[in-house]
Amino acid sequence: MALPKALQEQDFKSTTTGMLSERLIVSCLALCALTTVLITVGIIYMLISQSVGFFSSDQITLREFVTGTEWTALQSKQLQQSKFGILPLLSGTLRVTTVAMLIALPLGLITAIYLSEFASPWIRSWLKPTLEIIAGVPTVVFGYFAILVISPSLQWFSGGGFATFNATSAGIAVGILCLPMVCSLSEDAMRAVPNSLREGAYGLGCTPYETAVKVVVPAAFSGIVSAFLLAFSRAIGETMIVALAAGTLPTFSADPTRQAQTMTGFIVEMIKSENEYGTVQHFSLYAVAVTLFAITFLMTLLGQMIRRRFQESYE
Amino acid sequence: MNKLPVALTRHDANKIARYTKRRKQFSAAFYALCVAIALLSVAILVVLLMSIGIEGQSRLSTDLLTRSHSELQPQRSGMWPAIVGSLLVCGTCGLLALPLGIGTAIFLEEFKPRNRWLLRLRSFVQLNVSNLAGVPSIVYGLLGLTMFVYMFNLFGQIQVNQSSGWELMGAKHLYQVLTLEPDHAVFIPQTNRNQNQITIDRPLDGLDQDWNPIAIDVWAPGTPQPKDPEVRRRTVAAGTTGGTVTDKAWYYFRLPLDRSFLAGGLTLGLVILPIIIIASQEALRSVPSSLREASLGLGATNWQTVRDVTFPAAVPGIMTGAILAMGRAIGEAAPILMVLGATISKESGPRHLMDNAVTMPVLIFNWAGRQQQEFKQLSAAAIIVLLVTLLILNSVAILIRHKIQQSQP
Repeated sequence: MALPKALQEQDFKSTTTGMLSERLIVSCLALCALTTVLITVGIIYMLISQSVGFFSSDQITLREFVTGTEWTALQSKQLQQSKFGILPLLSGTLRVTTVAMLIALPLGLITAIYLSEFASPWIRSWLKPTLEIIAGVPTVVFGYFAILVISPSLQWFSGGGFATFNATSAGIAVGILCLPMVCSLSEDAMRAVPNSLREGAYGLGCTPYETAVKVVVPAAFSGIVSAFLLAFSRAIGETMIVALAAGTLPTFSADPTRQAQTMTGFIVEMIKSENEYGTVQHFSLYAVAVTLFAITFLMTLLGQMIRRRFQESYE
Repeated sequence: MNKLPVALTRHDANKIARYTKRRKQFSAAFYALCVAIALLSVAILVVLLMSIGIEGQSRLSTDLLTRSHSELQPQRSGMWPAIVGSLLVCGTCGLLALPLGIGTAIFLEEFKPRNRWLLRLRSFVQLNVSNLAGVPSIVYGLLGLTMFVYMFNLFGQIQVNQSSGWELMGAKHLYQVLTLEPDHAVFIPQTNRNQNQITIDRPLDGLDQDWNPIAIDVWAPGTPQPKDPEVRRRTVAAGTTGGTVTDKAWYYFRLPLDRSFLAGGLTLGLVILPIIIIASQEALRSVPSSLREASLGLGATNWQTVRDVTFPAAVPGIMTGAILAMGRAIGEAAPILMVLGATISKESGPRHLMDNAVTMPVLIFNWAGRQQQEFKQLSAAAIIVLLVTLLILNSVAILIRHKIQQSQP
């Protein structure tokens, strides 16, 4: 009986070098993974170290920054008289985001219900790509759409009640942008609900509406909430739309028909004005960015946690 | 005990029928609402594309594709530098993000450690990736601005139009001196970087305009000028002063990166890195574990399994995710705006690694924010070009996926 060729030749490769190169490759890959941690560290280090430069200046105290109702970093003629109170920017962001959520959450959720509960495969095969296309459109295009279509039609409907640049038109555009995201995340959550629950509801005599809204939606609640939170944080961080359509005047009010500069809008405006590195104005960028980062980071973290913690398992 | 349940004893057929009818009507109305709202998103997309098409169709011409932005002649402005800029920035971005992202995904999915602490580290990295995906792109822009453009001011205060920091390679510092022949200059290599001017008073070795070494003659005023143009081209009047110029080869490299397309590309790479990681992870996860187990059972090591079995099987998914991420990168304006600034007056694409660039979204942003009607129309036309680019990119993704799926049994 002849031995296999490998055993006849007895020409085995050494495993030591193989083990070594394996180790080497694994550590290279681990290094790749560590870069992502480094990026987070970099962001946090940058934000903290640079905003220390802002708060250590004589012009500003932390208390004024948090409670001040005037933000004139770019408006005032003299640099010394600039006021740095974050509230106008926060209120601008809040107005735009509220309008956006009023659009994106109900529409996204209902579209998701339709897609996961009612739509035939044929309709799904049309609707899903449409939503994917909307999700893939660059944000600057939505900004242009807001000033080209949304803002003029709002003015036309209200008979001139809206300013040319206003929080509502930017909010509507941001809402359209967030809609596919809310929709696809909620739909994923609803499709994960096992069919036995639906069948049980129908068996007890529920109508399709009752099955969808009173059984499937509560069962997928954690996924839907996390979708809402992720969309919320996306809307807060959205930049190009508000830079184009929301205006450049920081106003502290709750009126969505007026101009509103958001935090991201301010950052863009600041970059366009090309202030020198090292001035208080330049450092105010980082103070605004810290606020923005903190809010979105908390939202994302909360969304992730809700999704993990409260995920109902139907095994 | 033969007492019936309450529901059966107290039945009121009419009431129940009415109630049921109302419930059914409500359900039907809800269904109609669902259809209407689902159609709304289609309507939005149609209105979006139509309005931009109508606004921009008059400006779609070859001028748009071949010319550069012109402040004074909006009717003849184009976006050629922006197209080149976008491609180069996205190329850089892909070169950074693809290897890094795929490597991270492979590490997270295929090398599951047994050690408890390493497991914890792994889940921390995983959480970190999903958090990075939620960071607004403008914060990445700020990171790029601080880390790549200014490098935390480690190299001294940055000043506009003045070279500071370390020039590592590709830069030649020369003095430019005008010769007797009009429109001709000779160049003399700079020896002392702090000396900004040179005064010619004796013959020197230098370079002509095509960088050939020549000997520079000096003509003393008062003596007859040489007549031969060849000689005149390398003869300088005594006492002529020359300023410095810097000749930058295409591989010119310096630290900090300043407002260069390289810095822009790296920043964009950071933006799309989490997207690529998440997409690649999903692609790797969808490879059936029986393949992996078979390979490991045949004695392959972990890495051999990844290299020869898992990764090839996951390539279509990874490619799709990568191309979608590149699409996101092409359309992303905020980080580029932060890093490269808002200037759009460039006449060509980047000439060397450290050159500034314009990208399509930044150009669109700038044009859309202007008052003149011409620029608004140009902006719509540029949007059409951008959307067509995205469309091509996505069709390539679909094609690649089909090709690879067909070639695999």
